[in-house]
Amino acid sequence: MTKPLTIKNLVKKFGGLTATDDISFDLNEGQSTGLIGPNGAGKTTIFSQIMGEYRQTSGKIELYGSEISKLSTPARIRLGVSRTYQVPRPFAEFTVLENVRVGLMPDSIWKMITEGPNVDREIELALSVGFSENDLRRTPDELSMGDLRKLEMARTMATNPSIMLLDEVFAGLTVGEIDQIAKLIQKMRSENMTFLIVSHDLKALEPLVDDAIAINYGKIIAQGSFASVISDKAVRTSYLGT
Amino acid sequence: MGLGLRWYHFVLWAGFIAIMALMPEFVSKGTLRTIIFANFLAIFAISWDVLSGRTGYISFGHPFLIGIGAYTTAILTKRFDVPVEYAIPTAVIMTMVGGTIMFLPALRIKGSYFALVSLAFMELIYQLVQVIRPDLTGGTRGMSGLVTLTRGAVNGYYLSVTLMIIVALCMWLLMRTRLGTALSAIGMNEESVKGSGLSPTKLKLFAFMTSAFVAGLGGAFYVHYLGSIAPRALFDINFVFTIIVATLIGGASTIVGPMFGAFFLTFLLEYLRPYLPGAERYLIYGVIALLLYMYQPKGLYHIVMTQLDRFKKRADDD
Amino acid sequence: MLEIIIQGILLSGLYALIAVGFTLIFSVGRVLNLAYGSYIMVAGYIYFYFSQLLGLPPIAGLLLAGILGSCMGLLKYNLIVKPLKGDHIAVEISTLILAVVLQSAVILFFGNSAKILLPIIPGVIHIGNATVTFNVLAATVASWLILIGLYLFIKKTHIGRAMMAVSMDAKGASISGVDIDKINMITWGISGFLGAIAGVFFASYTQLSPTMWVAPLIIAIAIVIVGGIGSIIGTLVVAHIIGFMEIISVALISPQLRGVFTMLLIILVLVIRPKGLFGREEL
Repeated sequence: MTKPLTIKNLVKKFGGLTATDDISFDLNEGQSTGLIGPNGAGKTTIFSQIMGEYRQTSGKIELYGSEISKLSTPARIRLGVSRTYQVPRPFAEFTVLENVRVGLMPDSIWKMITEGPNVDREIELALSVGFSENDLRRTPDELSMGDLRKLEMARTMATNPSIMLLDEVFAGLTVGEIDQIAKLIQKMRSENMTFLIVSHDLKALEPLVDDAIAINYGKIIAQGSFASVISDKAVRTSYLGT
Repeated sequence: MGLGLRWYHFVLWAGFIAIMALMPEFVSKGTLRTIIFANFLAIFAISWDVLSGRTGYISFGHPFLIGIGAYTTAILTKRFDVPVEYAIPTAVIMTMVGGTIMFLPALRIKGSYFALVSLAFMELIYQLVQVIRPDLTGGTRGMSGLVTLTRGAVNGYYLSVTLMIIVALCMWLLMRTRLGTALSAIGMNEESVKGSGLSPTKLKLFAFMTSAFVAGLGGAFYVHYLGSIAPRALFDINFVFTIIVATLIGGASTIVGPMFGAFFLTFLLEYLRPYLPGAERYLIYGVIALLLYMYQPKGLYHIVMTQLDRFKKRADDD
Repeated sequence: MLEIIIQGILLSGLYALIAVGFTLIFSVGRVLNLAYGSYIMVAGYIYFYFSQLLGLPPIAGLLLAGILGSCMGLLKYNLIVKPLKGDHIAVEISTLILAVVLQSAVILFFGNSAKILLPIIPGVIHIGNATVTFNVLAATVASWLILIGLYLFIKKTHIGRAMMAVSMDAKGASISGVDIDKINMITWGISGFLGAIAGVFFASYTQLSPTMWVAPLIIAIAIVIVGGIGSIIGTLVVAHIIGFMEIISVALISPQLRGVFTMLLIILVLVIRPKGLFGREEL
């Protein structure tokens, strides 16, 4: 059975700075892994390389067994991997529904013209991440940061991925909102979705993951069960900065 | 197709078509000629809007496309005696080739750089047309005595109005599909479009080709209305300016906006003509355009729509 | 041959001066000032008015034009660019509209026909076979002096270095305590001044007409695209490439193809190396 995601010896250098220093790991189908580490450790950079926003300096990225390094970001999304962004980037002049609409669109001009939007599905997605009926026709400038993160989530789900990379999807959310998103993630886990989740909120993260990987200075410093990783000495010092 | 058409869309379009059809009954020949220019300007503005208004790839060299359509049909009909019914489609195809050429820089550069390059394209064709094979192109002075498709103001009017309405209706419907949504999304955040699994390259190419199609069509028919072609007037920054301002005043990325912007502008210029005969008119309407644009970049369409929304909200509250 | 080299050097110096003001705004302010050509045009007419119509000495006319150019730049920045808060598209369009408005205003005051400017410094000098007017020579010398002065200003003074900082990373610069607004104002002021001076020389090289702002704008554009942004030296080098290309095509091929190769060069560079020959920017 081919693994959904395999990273082998990934290296990313920006001039003199090594942001990703020989990282290897993989994800099994339906597995949910937490990616933790202090700010600047290189977590988001890994996401960017998986999605094709940065080209890695060296190393392999495989999706379901195929090397994807030559593929464009939209092509990789069509293969089933999708991510949220730490800084939400919604379409500023579209409503919540229209934002989701873009994510739902097939990458075929003919289909875009001949088939209309699936408004029911748009509403379904928007409600599932916690929007209320009133919010559906709001535009991003009227939304709170928490709402914008929910929108990111909905848009990512709209692309119908089988692997989801979540980047700080809980930041700025109220306890109730975190709860709703957490329930959503659990539901998707039960439907065999593969997750790689970055979060500073370790309490919220714990129930959502099978295991964890800790990163610092672009290197993996601990890997294993969530409990063992967060009690690891090197991990604790990386957060406290000694 | 999910066009979301409502009864009032049908009513408004039907009403508009009816008014335009009956126009010759109400107005003088002189006004008809003015409306003809407005019709063609509307076509050019719609063409610009489909590309620049939606995707945000602002083109300052749209006459490059219009010119290809115009010159192709002019050269074919005058120098090679090709019948108009073949020359015009050929002109449109050539313009679409030109649109593809213009699209190539848009693959690798964005925003401001693209705007500059489009200006360079227009300058390039302006110089080429005067220098390469002036025996074909008519050089600096252009060509005259071209085949005209209609005789008289009324027939010219009907041809231009039919063309304009067909173009407007088709583009309006096309932009109401999800394609329109995707193109607008590019204008808002191209990276996010990629992040939604859509390939901006395909979409941009389509936008360029559609814009070129309309520009070529408009350019070809315009040349056969005027019966002449003059590079100095065609490849002029004032012409670029007129098209852009018409679109912006009306309201970019709405198709209907550019239409009304074109009419507004043409009549404003005509109204000013007795007071300011020369290029000074551009001064007044440039100032008006600048103030209006800085006050509300989304144009009159947006202003009208916001008022209507307010009206609806008040009606709902009652 | 000598003639070509001399004419090439002369023209390139002028082009460099024209381009540098434009590049400055694009590098530091990150916006496209399509009304840049208007500095050139308006300055030419101001000089014409003061020096030719009113009879003031050429230096006075030149300086007046320069100061007016500065003022125009400051006004443009404060009235148009700042309110639009860095919306690139809006600034491009607004400056385009402004350029056409200024063109119409000039037509209103001075009429439509082209005017010939009397040379700023009359007389000619012979170098080899070539006949060089003092006018054009003065223009090139002035260009080089100004460019060297600008280069030193950018590298050595505090403000100049602040400008470089803003051009590389505005956010970082402001965190380091640079007053972005002040820097932008200074940049627009300098750009206006440079454009105006370039305008007077350009007008004396060709002729004065309300539509004369388009050609130098295109040249500035070409130099920005081919040279890339962020380097005065790059601008200088590319100005010479383009200047010589024009002179060579006029002398050896055909005078009418003057601008064509420049346009083709733009397109070529964009296909092969979009960030320009010397650019340090990702686009």
